[in-house]
Amino acid sequence: MVVTGLGGAQTAPPADQETISLLVQQVKELQQHDRELQERIRFLEANQKGTATPNPPPSTPEVAPVPEAQAAPPQLLEMHTLHGIQWRGFAELDYKALDQRAPELGTYGFNPGSAGNFYTGDFDLFLTSRLTERASVLSEIDFEEGGAQSFKTDLRRMLLKYDVNDHLKISLGRYQTSIGYYNWAFRSAAWLQTTADRPLVMEFASDGGLLPTQAVGISVTGSIPSGTLGLHYIGEYGSSDTVRPDITNSGLLNDENNSNHVNAGVFLSPDRIPGLRIGGSIYHDQISDLVSLAAGGGSSTPPPGSTVPSASARWNQTIVNGHIVYVGRGFEFLNEAFLIRHAPIGTGETFNTPAFYSQFSRKFGPVRPFARFQWVNASPRNTIYDDVQLRFGPSFGLRYDPNDYIALKAQLDHTARRGLPDLNGLHLQMAVTF
Amino acid sequence: MKLVAVVFLSCLATLIPVSRAAAQGTDLAVIVNPNNPVTNVSSADLRKIFSGGKRSWPGGIPVKLIVRAPGSHERLVLLRLLGMSESEYKQYWTAQVFRGEADTEPYTVPSFGMVKEAAVIFPGAISLVEAQNVKSGMPLKVIKVDGRLPGDAGYPLH
Repeated sequence: MVVTGLGGAQTAPPADQETISLLVQQVKELQQHDRELQERIRFLEANQKGTATPNPPPSTPEVAPVPEAQAAPPQLLEMHTLHGIQWRGFAELDYKALDQRAPELGTYGFNPGSAGNFYTGDFDLFLTSRLTERASVLSEIDFEEGGAQSFKTDLRRMLLKYDVNDHLKISLGRYQTSIGYYNWAFRSAAWLQTTADRPLVMEFASDGGLLPTQAVGISVTGSIPSGTLGLHYIGEYGSSDTVRPDITNSGLLNDENNSNHVNAGVFLSPDRIPGLRIGGSIYHDQISDLVSLAAGGGSSTPPPGSTVPSASARWNQTIVNGHIVYVGRGFEFLNEAFLIRHAPIGTGETFNTPAFYSQFSRKFGPVRPFARFQWVNASPRNTIYDDVQLRFGPSFGLRYDPNDYIALKAQLDHTARRGLPDLNGLHLQMAVTF
Repeated sequence: MKLVAVVFLSCLATLIPVSRAAAQGTDLAVIVNPNNPVTNVSSADLRKIFSGGKRSWPGGIPVKLIVRAPGSHERLVLLRLLGMSESEYKQYWTAQVFRGEADTEPYTVPSFGMVKEAAVIFPGAISLVEAQNVKSGMPLKVIKVDGRLPGDAGYPLH
Protein backbone atom coordinates (compact mmCIF):
# COMPACT_ATOMS: atom_id res chain seq x y z
CA MET A 1 0.00 0.00 0.00
CA VAL A 2 2.81 2.35 0.86
CA VAL A 3 4.62 1.40 -2.32
CA THR A 4 1.46 2.03 -4.32
CA GLY A 5 1.01 5.31 -2.54
CA LEU A 6 4.60 6.28 -3.25
CA GLY A 7 4.17 5.27 -6.90
CA GLY A 8 1.08 7.46 -7.11
CA ALA A 9 2.96 10.35 -5.60
CA GLN A 10 4.97 10.68 -8.79
CA THR A 11 1.94 12.17 -10.62
CA ALA A 12 -0.33 13.35 -7.81
CA PRO A 13 -1.16 17.04 -7.37
CA PRO A 14 0.76 18.95 -4.66
CA ALA A 15 -2.07 18.70 -2.05
CA ASP A 16 -2.15 14.92 -2.44
CA GLN A 17 1.62 14.75 -2.28
CA GLU A 18 1.51 16.48 1.08
CA THR A 19 -1.09 14.01 2.35
CA ILE A 20 0.99 11.10 1.08
CA SER A 21 4.10 12.48 2.79
CA LEU A 22 2.19 12.75 6.06
CA LEU A 23 0.90 9.20 5.68
CA VAL A 24 4.39 7.88 4.93
CA GLN A 25 5.68 9.72 7.99
CA GLN A 26 2.93 8.20 10.12
CA VAL A 27 3.66 4.72 8.77
CA LYS A 28 7.36 5.18 9.63
CA GLU A 29 6.48 6.31 13.16
CA LEU A 30 4.14 3.35 13.61
CA GLN A 31 6.84 0.99 12.39
CA GLN A 32 9.30 2.53 14.85
CA HIS A 33 6.75 2.25 17.65
CA ASP A 34 6.15 -1.38 16.69
CA ARG A 35 9.89 -2.09 16.78
CA GLU A 36 10.12 -0.54 20.23
CA LEU A 37 7.20 -2.55 21.52
CA GLN A 38 8.67 -5.76 20.11
CA GLU A 39 11.98 -4.93 21.72
CA ARG A 40 10.31 -4.20 25.04
CA ILE A 41 8.39 -7.49 24.90
CA ARG A 42 11.62 -9.39 24.19
CA PHE A 43 13.33 -7.65 27.10
CA LEU A 44 10.47 -8.36 29.50
CA GLU A 45 10.31 -11.99 28.39
CA ALA A 46 14.05 -12.36 28.88
CA ASN A 47 13.75 -10.82 32.35
CA GLN A 48 10.91 -13.15 33.30
CA LYS A 49 12.95 -16.16 32.20
CA GLY A 50 15.83 -14.94 34.31
CA THR A 51 13.77 -14.81 37.51
CA ALA A 52 12.13 -17.79 39.09
CA THR A 53 9.46 -15.83 40.94
CA PRO A 54 6.37 -15.00 38.92
CA ASN A 55 6.45 -11.30 39.73
CA PRO A 56 4.25 -9.17 37.55
CA PRO A 57 6.28 -7.17 35.02
CA PRO A 58 6.91 -3.56 35.95
CA SER A 59 4.43 -1.18 34.42
CA THR A 60 5.74 0.16 31.16
CA PRO A 61 5.67 3.90 30.80
CA GLU A 62 3.84 5.58 27.98
CA VAL A 63 6.04 6.82 25.18
CA ALA A 64 3.74 9.74 24.63
CA PRO A 65 5.02 12.99 26.20
CA VAL A 66 4.19 13.38 29.86
CA PRO A 67 3.52 16.83 31.28
CA GLU A 68 6.65 18.03 33.12
CA ALA A 69 4.81 18.57 36.41
CA GLN A 70 3.48 15.01 36.48
CA ALA A 71 6.63 13.39 35.19
CA ALA A 72 8.00 10.53 37.24
CA PRO A 73 11.11 8.46 36.56
CA PRO A 74 10.35 5.64 34.15
CA GLN A 75 10.07 2.13 35.52
CA LEU A 76 13.58 1.10 34.66
CA LEU A 77 14.34 -2.56 34.88
CA GLU A 78 17.18 -2.80 37.35
CA MET A 79 17.95 -6.16 38.90
CA HIS A 80 19.70 -4.78 41.96
CA THR A 81 17.35 -1.99 42.94
CA LEU A 82 14.71 -2.33 45.62
CA HIS A 83 12.72 0.74 46.65
CA GLY A 84 15.60 2.99 45.64
CA ILE A 85 18.23 0.91 47.44
CA GLN A 86 20.92 -0.65 45.32
CA TRP A 87 22.08 -3.92 46.78
CA ARG A 88 24.68 -6.50 45.98
CA GLY A 89 25.84 -9.70 47.59
CA PHE A 90 29.15 -11.51 47.40
CA ALA A 91 29.92 -14.95 48.72
CA GLU A 92 32.61 -17.57 48.41
CA LEU A 93 33.23 -21.20 49.14
CA ASP A 94 36.84 -22.27 49.50
CA TYR A 95 38.89 -25.40 49.80
CA LYS A 96 42.50 -25.03 50.86
CA ALA A 97 45.28 -27.52 51.44
CA LEU A 98 48.65 -26.48 52.83
CA ASP A 99 51.65 -28.71 53.47
CA GLN A 100 52.39 -26.89 56.70
CA ARG A 101 54.57 -28.66 59.19
CA ALA A 102 54.28 -25.75 61.61
CA PRO A 103 50.65 -24.55 61.46
CA GLU A 104 49.99 -20.97 60.42
CA LEU A 105 47.61 -18.67 58.55
CA GLY A 106 44.46 -19.73 60.37
CA THR A 107 42.10 -17.18 58.90
CA TYR A 108 38.80 -17.17 57.02
CA GLY A 109 37.83 -20.53 58.52
CA PHE A 110 40.94 -22.37 57.36
CA ASN A 111 42.10 -24.72 60.10
CA PRO A 112 45.83 -24.42 60.61
CA GLY A 113 47.45 -27.77 60.88
CA SER A 114 44.83 -29.60 58.87
CA ALA A 115 45.76 -31.26 55.61
CA GLY A 116 42.99 -29.32 53.93
CA ASN A 117 39.47 -28.14 54.64
CA PHE A 118 36.44 -26.33 53.27
CA TYR A 119 35.38 -22.92 54.50
CA THR A 120 33.08 -20.12 53.43
CA GLY A 121 35.34 -17.09 53.78
CA ASP A 122 33.49 -13.78 53.43
CA PHE A 123 29.77 -13.36 52.92
CA ASP A 124 29.25 -9.75 52.03
CA LEU A 125 26.10 -7.66 51.79
CA PHE A 126 26.40 -4.25 50.21
CA LEU A 127 23.76 -1.52 50.18
CA THR A 128 23.81 1.95 48.74
CA SER A 129 21.05 4.48 48.49
CA ARG A 130 20.84 8.00 47.13
CA LEU A 131 19.49 10.49 49.65
CA THR A 132 19.55 13.59 47.47
CA GLU A 133 21.02 14.40 44.07
CA ARG A 134 24.45 14.71 45.69
CA ALA A 135 24.24 12.76 48.92
CA SER A 136 24.12 9.03 49.36
CA VAL A 137 24.74 6.39 51.97
CA LEU A 138 26.78 3.24 51.52
CA SER A 139 27.14 0.26 53.80
CA GLU A 140 28.90 -3.06 53.63
CA ILE A 141 28.29 -5.81 56.16
CA ASP A 142 30.55 -8.79 56.18
CA PHE A 143 29.98 -12.18 57.79
CA GLU A 144 33.34 -13.85 58.05
CA GLU A 145 34.00 -17.42 59.05
CA GLY A 146 36.32 -17.86 62.00
CA GLY A 147 37.53 -21.00 63.71
CA ALA A 148 35.24 -24.00 64.27
CA GLN A 149 32.65 -22.67 61.83
CA SER A 150 31.87 -19.65 63.98
CA PHE A 151 31.00 -16.42 62.22
CA LYS A 152 31.74 -12.84 63.11
CA THR A 153 30.00 -9.76 61.77
CA ASP A 154 32.02 -6.80 60.62
CA LEU A 155 30.70 -3.46 59.44
CA ARG A 156 33.38 -3.06 56.79
CA ARG A 157 32.06 0.26 55.54
CA MET A 158 29.37 2.72 56.52
CA LEU A 159 29.68 6.00 54.71
CA LEU A 160 27.66 9.11 54.28
CA LYS A 161 28.82 10.51 50.97
CA TYR A 162 28.42 13.95 49.51
CA ASP A 163 29.63 14.75 46.00
CA VAL A 164 30.05 18.49 45.59
CA ASN A 165 31.34 17.97 42.06
CA ASP A 166 34.00 15.89 40.28
CA HIS A 167 36.72 17.81 42.15
CA LEU A 168 35.43 17.28 45.67
CA LYS A 169 33.72 14.18 47.00
CA ILE A 170 33.43 13.87 50.76
CA SER A 171 32.78 10.69 52.74
CA LEU A 172 32.21 10.42 56.47
CA GLY A 173 32.11 7.20 58.43
CA ARG A 174 33.89 3.87 58.41
CA TYR A 175 35.97 3.39 55.29
CA GLN A 176 38.66 1.18 53.89
CA THR A 177 41.90 3.08 53.77
CA SER A 178 43.26 4.05 50.36
CA ILE A 179 46.75 2.75 51.01
CA GLY A 180 47.55 1.32 47.64
CA TYR A 181 45.42 0.16 44.77
CA TYR A 182 44.29 -3.28 45.89
CA ASN A 183 42.28 -2.17 48.89
CA TRP A 184 40.52 0.43 46.78
CA ALA A 185 39.87 -1.80 43.79
CA PHE A 186 38.73 -5.09 45.28
CA ARG A 187 37.48 -4.21 48.76
CA SER A 188 36.36 -7.49 50.30
CA ALA A 189 34.72 -9.24 47.37
CA ALA A 190 36.51 -12.40 46.25
CA TRP A 191 34.43 -12.36 43.06
CA LEU A 192 36.07 -9.12 41.98
CA GLN A 193 39.58 -10.45 42.52
CA THR A 194 41.28 -12.49 39.84
CA THR A 195 43.17 -14.52 42.41
CA ALA A 196 41.64 -16.64 45.15
CA ASP A 197 43.19 -14.57 47.95
CA ARG A 198 44.75 -11.17 48.55
CA PRO A 199 48.49 -10.58 48.62
CA LEU A 200 49.70 -10.84 52.23
CA VAL A 201 50.61 -7.18 52.43
CA MET A 202 47.09 -6.21 51.33
CA GLU A 203 45.29 -8.77 53.47
CA PHE A 204 42.88 -7.29 55.99
CA ALA A 205 44.63 -6.54 59.25
CA SER A 206 42.12 -8.67 61.17
CA ASP A 207 43.30 -11.60 59.05
CA GLY A 208 46.99 -11.07 59.57
CA GLY A 209 47.61 -8.42 56.91
CA LEU A 210 50.28 -5.82 57.50
CA LEU A 211 48.45 -2.58 56.82
CA PRO A 212 45.76 -0.63 58.66
CA THR A 213 43.03 -1.44 56.17
CA GLN A 214 40.04 0.14 57.89
CA ALA A 215 39.30 3.33 59.77
CA VAL A 216 36.61 5.71 60.92
CA GLY A 217 36.86 9.33 59.88
CA ILE A 218 36.66 11.61 56.89
CA SER A 219 37.80 10.92 53.38
CA VAL A 220 37.98 13.37 50.48
CA THR A 221 38.78 12.63 46.89
CA GLY A 222 38.36 14.18 43.47
CA SER A 223 39.98 15.06 40.20
CA ILE A 224 42.57 17.80 39.80
CA PRO A 225 42.25 19.88 36.60
CA SER A 226 45.16 18.50 34.60
CA GLY A 227 44.00 18.09 31.01
CA THR A 228 44.60 14.66 29.58
CA LEU A 229 46.73 13.53 32.54
CA GLY A 230 43.69 12.62 34.62
CA LEU A 231 45.19 13.56 37.97
CA HIS A 232 43.25 12.65 41.14
CA TYR A 233 43.86 13.12 44.84
CA ILE A 234 42.82 11.24 47.99
CA GLY A 235 42.96 12.54 51.53
CA GLU A 236 41.96 10.70 54.70
CA TYR A 237 41.95 11.61 58.37
CA GLY A 238 40.61 9.11 60.84
CA SER A 239 41.07 6.57 63.57
CA SER A 240 42.19 3.08 62.72
CA ASP A 241 41.81 0.27 65.18
CA THR A 242 44.25 -2.30 63.92
CA VAL A 243 44.35 -5.57 65.77
CA ARG A 244 46.20 -8.20 63.81
CA PRO A 245 46.73 -11.82 64.80
CA ASP A 246 50.16 -13.36 64.46
CA ILE A 247 50.15 -15.36 61.25
CA THR A 248 52.35 -18.02 62.84
CA ASN A 249 49.39 -19.26 64.89
CA SER A 250 51.08 -18.27 68.13
CA GLY A 251 47.69 -17.15 69.38
CA LEU A 252 48.92 -13.62 70.00
CA LEU A 253 47.14 -10.48 68.92
CA ASN A 254 48.98 -7.27 68.16
CA ASP A 255 46.78 -4.35 69.13
CA GLU A 256 48.23 -1.22 67.56
CA ASN A 257 46.01 1.09 69.60
CA ASN A 258 46.17 3.65 66.82
CA SER A 259 46.00 7.41 67.07
CA ASN A 260 44.42 9.44 64.30
CA HIS A 261 46.09 8.85 60.97
CA VAL A 262 46.64 11.05 57.97
CA ASN A 263 46.79 9.55 54.52
CA ALA A 264 47.40 11.52 51.33
CA GLY A 265 47.69 10.16 47.83
CA VAL A 266 47.65 11.13 44.19
CA PHE A 267 47.23 9.06 41.07
CA LEU A 268 46.92 9.73 37.39
CA SER A 269 44.86 7.97 34.75
CA PRO A 270 45.94 9.40 31.40
CA ASP A 271 43.29 9.72 28.70
CA ARG A 272 45.65 8.30 26.10
CA ILE A 273 45.96 4.94 27.83
CA PRO A 274 42.58 4.03 29.31
CA GLY A 275 43.06 1.53 32.11
CA LEU A 276 46.49 2.77 33.20
CA ARG A 277 46.83 4.13 36.71
CA ILE A 278 50.03 5.37 38.30
CA GLY A 279 49.98 6.64 41.83
CA GLY A 280 51.27 6.71 45.34
CA SER A 281 50.32 7.57 48.88
CA ILE A 282 51.87 8.33 52.23
CA TYR A 283 50.26 7.37 55.52
CA HIS A 284 51.27 8.40 59.02
CA ASP A 285 50.08 7.36 62.46
CA GLN A 286 51.33 6.79 65.99
CA ILE A 287 50.72 3.33 67.32
CA SER A 288 51.46 0.96 70.18
CA ASP A 289 52.23 -2.70 70.03
CA LEU A 290 50.10 -4.19 72.76
CA VAL A 291 50.34 -7.96 72.66
CA SER A 292 47.56 -10.06 74.07
CA LEU A 293 46.48 -13.66 73.82
CA ALA A 294 43.63 -14.28 71.40
CA ALA A 295 40.59 -16.03 72.85
CA GLY A 296 40.97 -19.71 72.08
CA GLY A 297 43.92 -19.08 69.83
CA GLY A 298 46.88 -21.41 69.24
CA SER A 299 49.83 -21.85 71.54
CA SER A 300 50.28 -19.33 74.33
CA THR A 301 54.03 -19.17 74.01
CA PRO A 302 55.32 -15.99 72.36
CA PRO A 303 57.68 -16.64 69.43
CA PRO A 304 61.31 -17.04 70.47
CA GLY A 305 63.15 -13.77 70.61
CA SER A 306 60.06 -11.58 70.64
CA THR A 307 59.52 -9.08 73.41
CA VAL A 308 56.32 -7.71 74.82
CA PRO A 309 56.64 -3.92 74.89
CA SER A 310 55.13 -1.85 77.62
CA ALA A 311 51.71 -0.36 77.04
CA SER A 312 53.13 3.15 77.05
CA ALA A 313 55.62 2.52 74.21
CA ARG A 314 54.62 4.50 71.15
CA TRP A 315 55.84 4.07 67.61
CA ASN A 316 55.75 6.36 64.61
CA GLN A 317 54.31 4.43 61.70
CA THR A 318 54.79 5.70 58.15
CA ILE A 319 53.64 3.75 55.12
CA VAL A 320 54.68 4.78 51.62
CA ASN A 321 53.03 3.18 48.61
CA GLY A 322 53.68 3.38 44.88
CA HIS A 323 51.71 1.55 42.23
CA ILE A 324 51.52 1.09 38.48
CA VAL A 325 48.43 -0.69 37.32
CA TYR A 326 46.98 -1.48 33.93
CA VAL A 327 43.53 -3.04 33.61
CA GLY A 328 42.04 -3.08 30.15
CA ARG A 329 41.61 -4.92 26.86
CA GLY A 330 41.55 -8.21 28.74
CA PHE A 331 44.86 -7.57 30.49
CA GLU A 332 45.45 -7.04 34.19
CA PHE A 333 48.89 -5.99 35.36
CA LEU A 334 49.10 -4.92 39.00
CA ASN A 335 52.32 -3.74 40.59
CA GLU A 336 52.51 -2.27 44.06
CA ALA A 337 55.42 -1.56 46.35
CA PHE A 338 55.34 -0.53 50.01
CA LEU A 339 57.76 0.72 52.58
CA ILE A 340 56.41 0.38 56.10
CA ARG A 341 58.55 2.29 58.57
CA HIS A 342 58.25 1.80 62.32
CA ALA A 343 60.21 4.01 64.71
CA PRO A 344 59.82 3.50 68.47
CA ILE A 345 59.64 7.03 69.87
CA GLY A 346 62.65 8.03 71.95
CA THR A 347 64.83 5.07 70.98
CA GLY A 348 66.36 6.36 67.75
CA GLU A 349 65.69 2.97 66.20
CA THR A 350 63.80 2.45 62.95
CA PHE A 351 62.57 -0.71 61.30
CA ASN A 352 61.86 -0.67 57.59
CA THR A 353 59.63 -3.34 56.11
CA PRO A 354 59.67 -3.30 52.32
CA ALA A 355 57.06 -5.31 50.46
CA PHE A 356 55.75 -5.68 46.95
CA TYR A 357 53.56 -7.82 44.79
CA SER A 358 53.21 -8.11 41.04
CA GLN A 359 50.28 -9.79 39.37
CA PHE A 360 49.61 -10.47 35.70
CA SER A 361 46.60 -12.03 34.04
CA ARG A 362 45.13 -12.22 30.57
CA LYS A 363 41.55 -13.04 29.67
CA PHE A 364 40.85 -15.63 26.98
CA GLY A 365 37.06 -15.76 26.71
CA PRO A 366 35.75 -17.05 30.03
CA VAL A 367 39.20 -18.19 31.19
CA ARG A 368 41.80 -15.99 32.83
CA PRO A 369 45.15 -17.54 33.77
CA PHE A 370 47.13 -15.53 36.30
CA ALA A 371 50.52 -15.36 37.96
CA ARG A 372 51.56 -13.42 41.04
CA PHE A 373 54.76 -12.92 42.94
CA GLN A 374 54.89 -11.37 46.39
CA TRP A 375 57.68 -10.48 48.74
CA VAL A 376 57.77 -9.12 52.30
CA ASN A 377 60.86 -8.59 54.42
CA ALA A 378 60.29 -7.59 58.04
CA SER A 379 63.04 -7.33 60.59
CA PRO A 380 62.90 -10.12 63.20
CA ARG A 381 63.61 -7.42 65.82
CA ASN A 382 60.48 -5.49 64.83
CA THR A 383 58.05 -6.79 67.45
CA ILE A 384 55.07 -5.62 65.38
CA TYR A 385 55.96 -7.93 62.47
CA ASP A 386 58.08 -10.53 64.26
CA ASP A 387 55.70 -13.21 62.95
CA VAL A 388 56.14 -12.09 59.34
CA GLN A 389 59.89 -11.79 58.80
CA LEU A 390 61.03 -12.66 55.26
CA ARG A 391 58.57 -14.50 53.07
CA PHE A 392 58.18 -14.55 49.35
CA GLY A 393 56.96 -16.72 46.53
CA PRO A 394 54.89 -17.15 43.40
CA SER A 395 51.26 -18.09 42.87
CA PHE A 396 49.82 -19.48 39.65
CA GLY A 397 46.24 -20.19 38.80
CA LEU A 398 43.23 -19.98 36.62
CA ARG A 399 39.94 -18.16 36.93
CA TYR A 400 36.99 -19.45 34.94
CA ASP A 401 33.75 -17.44 34.62
CA PRO A 402 30.98 -19.75 33.38
CA ASN A 403 28.60 -16.76 33.52
CA ASP A 404 28.43 -13.19 34.83
CA TYR A 405 27.79 -14.24 38.42
CA ILE A 406 30.09 -17.14 39.23
CA ALA A 407 33.86 -17.39 39.20
CA LEU A 408 35.71 -20.66 39.72
CA LYS A 409 39.36 -20.34 40.71
CA ALA A 410 42.22 -22.73 41.22
CA GLN A 411 45.48 -21.42 42.65
CA LEU A 412 48.83 -22.95 43.57
CA ASP A 413 51.04 -21.09 46.06
CA HIS A 414 54.63 -21.48 47.08
CA THR A 415 55.96 -19.43 49.99
CA ALA A 416 59.56 -19.41 51.12
CA ARG A 417 60.11 -18.27 54.72
CA ARG A 418 63.24 -17.28 56.61
CA GLY A 419 64.20 -19.97 59.12
CA LEU A 420 61.06 -22.01 58.45
CA PRO A 421 60.14 -24.72 55.93
CA ASP A 422 58.64 -23.58 52.63
CA LEU A 423 54.87 -23.68 52.30
CA ASN A 424 53.05 -25.14 49.32
CA GLY A 425 49.34 -24.66 48.97
CA LEU A 426 46.37 -25.44 46.78
CA HIS A 427 43.42 -23.07 46.97
CA LEU A 428 40.13 -23.76 45.18
CA GLN A 429 37.38 -21.19 45.28
CA MET A 430 33.90 -20.59 43.99
CA ALA A 431 33.10 -16.88 44.26
CA VAL A 432 29.68 -15.53 43.42
CA THR A 433 27.92 -12.22 43.18
CA PHE A 434 24.18 -11.92 43.36
CA MET B 1 37.66 14.71 -21.91
CA LYS B 2 36.27 17.82 -20.26
CA LEU B 3 32.75 16.45 -20.70
CA VAL B 4 33.73 13.16 -19.04
CA ALA B 5 35.20 15.06 -16.11
CA VAL B 6 32.02 17.17 -15.72
CA VAL B 7 29.83 14.05 -15.85
CA PHE B 8 32.08 12.30 -13.32
CA LEU B 9 32.03 15.25 -10.93
CA SER B 10 28.26 15.58 -11.31
CA CYS B 11 27.83 11.92 -10.43
CA LEU B 12 30.13 12.35 -7.44
CA ALA B 13 28.17 15.40 -6.30
CA THR B 14 24.92 13.44 -6.42
CA LEU B 15 26.50 10.65 -4.40
CA ILE B 16 27.76 12.85 -1.57
CA PRO B 17 24.36 13.58 0.05
CA VAL B 18 23.49 9.91 -0.30
CA SER B 19 26.65 8.79 1.50
CA ARG B 20 26.17 11.47 4.20
CA ALA B 21 22.60 10.29 4.71
CA ALA B 22 23.77 6.68 4.81
CA ALA B 23 26.43 7.61 7.34
CA GLN B 24 23.87 9.43 9.47
CA GLY B 25 21.72 6.32 9.24
CA THR B 26 24.28 4.25 11.15
CA ASP B 27 25.77 7.00 13.31
CA LEU B 28 24.84 7.27 16.95
CA ALA B 29 23.86 10.62 18.37
CA VAL B 30 24.79 11.68 21.89
CA ILE B 31 21.64 13.08 23.44
CA VAL B 32 21.21 15.01 26.67
CA ASN B 33 18.42 16.79 28.47
CA PRO B 34 17.40 19.89 26.46
CA ASN B 35 18.29 22.15 29.41
CA ASN B 36 21.86 20.87 29.58
CA PRO B 37 24.14 23.77 28.56
CA VAL B 38 26.80 21.46 27.09
CA THR B 39 27.02 21.52 23.30
CA ASN B 40 30.18 19.50 22.64
CA VAL B 41 32.21 16.75 24.30
CA SER B 42 35.49 15.17 23.34
CA SER B 43 35.72 11.43 22.71
CA ALA B 44 37.93 11.13 25.79
CA ASP B 45 35.36 12.93 27.95
CA LEU B 46 32.61 10.77 26.52
CA ARG B 47 34.58 7.69 27.53
CA LYS B 48 35.06 9.14 31.01
CA ILE B 49 31.36 9.96 31.30
CA PHE B 50 30.19 6.51 30.22
CA SER B 51 32.75 4.79 32.43
CA GLY B 52 31.66 6.80 35.48
CA GLY B 53 34.93 8.72 35.72
CA LYS B 54 33.23 12.06 35.15
CA ARG B 55 30.11 12.27 37.22
CA SER B 56 28.88 15.83 37.02
CA TRP B 57 28.16 18.34 34.29
CA PRO B 58 29.47 21.89 34.40
CA GLY B 59 27.23 23.52 36.97
CA GLY B 60 27.28 20.47 39.18
CA ILE B 61 24.30 18.54 37.83
CA PRO B 62 25.01 14.82 38.41
CA VAL B 63 25.41 12.79 35.23
CA LYS B 64 22.69 10.19 34.75
CA LEU B 65 23.73 7.44 32.36
CA ILE B 66 20.98 5.89 30.28
CA VAL B 67 22.15 2.92 28.23
CA ARG B 68 20.41 0.47 25.95
CA ALA B 69 20.01 -3.19 26.79
CA PRO B 70 22.50 -5.81 25.53
CA GLY B 71 22.09 -6.76 21.90
CA SER B 72 21.26 -3.30 20.60
CA HIS B 73 23.43 -1.33 18.19
CA GLU B 74 23.84 1.41 20.78
CA ARG B 75 25.15 -1.11 23.31
CA LEU B 76 27.73 -2.46 20.86
CA VAL B 77 29.01 1.04 20.11
CA LEU B 78 29.16 1.82 23.84
CA LEU B 79 31.22 -1.31 24.50
CA ARG B 80 33.54 -0.39 21.64
CA LEU B 81 33.92 3.12 23.05
CA LEU B 82 34.89 1.69 26.44
CA GLY B 83 37.01 -1.15 25.03
CA MET B 84 35.11 -3.80 26.98
CA SER B 85 33.17 -6.96 26.32
CA GLU B 86 29.64 -7.33 27.68
CA SER B 87 30.81 -9.41 30.64
CA GLU B 88 33.69 -7.00 31.35
CA TYR B 89 31.21 -4.12 31.27
CA LYS B 90 28.95 -5.80 33.82
CA GLN B 91 31.89 -6.68 36.05
CA TYR B 92 33.25 -3.15 35.72
CA TRP B 93 30.01 -1.57 36.91
CA THR B 94 29.57 -4.03 39.73
CA ALA B 95 33.05 -3.00 40.87
CA GLN B 96 32.36 0.72 40.44
CA VAL B 97 29.28 0.57 42.64
CA PHE B 98 30.99 -1.67 45.20
CA ARG B 99 33.98 0.65 45.41
CA GLY B 100 31.64 3.53 46.08
CA GLU B 101 32.78 5.24 42.90
CA ALA B 102 29.22 5.23 41.60
CA ASP B 103 25.90 5.21 43.42
CA THR B 104 24.14 3.17 40.81
CA GLU B 105 24.86 1.27 37.66
CA PRO B 106 23.72 3.03 34.48
CA TYR B 107 20.00 2.79 33.87
CA THR B 108 19.45 0.14 31.26
CA VAL B 109 16.39 0.60 29.07
CA PRO B 110 15.05 -1.59 26.30
CA SER B 111 13.84 1.00 23.79
CA PHE B 112 14.47 4.36 22.24
CA GLY B 113 11.13 5.55 23.62
CA MET B 114 12.33 4.95 27.16
CA VAL B 115 15.64 6.66 26.47
CA LYS B 116 13.72 9.64 25.19
CA GLU B 117 11.51 9.71 28.25
CA ALA B 118 14.45 9.36 30.65
CA ALA B 119 16.40 12.11 28.89
CA VAL B 120 13.49 14.48 29.39
CA ILE B 121 12.94 13.59 33.04
CA PHE B 122 16.54 13.52 34.32
CA PRO B 123 18.33 16.90 34.04
CA GLY B 124 21.73 15.17 33.88
CA ALA B 125 20.74 12.44 31.44
CA ILE B 126 23.01 11.35 28.62
CA SER B 127 22.56 8.50 26.20
CA LEU B 128 23.57 7.12 22.84
CA VAL B 129 20.78 6.69 20.30
CA GLU B 130 20.61 5.97 16.59
CA ALA B 131 20.77 9.36 14.91
CA GLN B 132 18.04 8.45 12.45
CA ASN B 133 15.57 8.11 15.33
CA VAL B 134 16.07 11.67 16.50
CA LYS B 135 13.52 13.89 14.79
CA SER B 136 13.17 17.62 14.93
CA GLY B 137 10.63 18.66 17.52
CA MET B 138 11.63 15.90 19.94
CA PRO B 139 12.48 17.21 23.42
CA LEU B 140 16.10 16.07 23.07
CA LYS B 141 19.38 17.84 22.55
CA VAL B 142 22.03 16.30 20.32
CA ILE B 143 25.53 17.36 21.29
CA LYS B 144 28.66 17.30 19.15
CA VAL B 145 31.47 14.84 19.67
CA ASP B 146 34.90 16.26 18.92
CA GLY B 147 33.08 19.16 17.22
CA ARG B 148 31.16 16.90 14.84
CA LEU B 149 27.52 15.94 14.53
CA PRO B 150 26.19 12.59 13.25
CA GLY B 151 26.64 12.42 9.50
CA ASP B 152 29.71 14.65 9.51
CA ALA B 153 32.89 13.20 8.11
CA GLY B 154 35.05 11.74 10.85
CA TYR B 155 32.20 11.43 13.36
CA PRO B 156 33.46 8.80 15.80
CA LEU B 157 30.29 7.01 16.91
CA HIS B 158 28.85 4.54 14.41
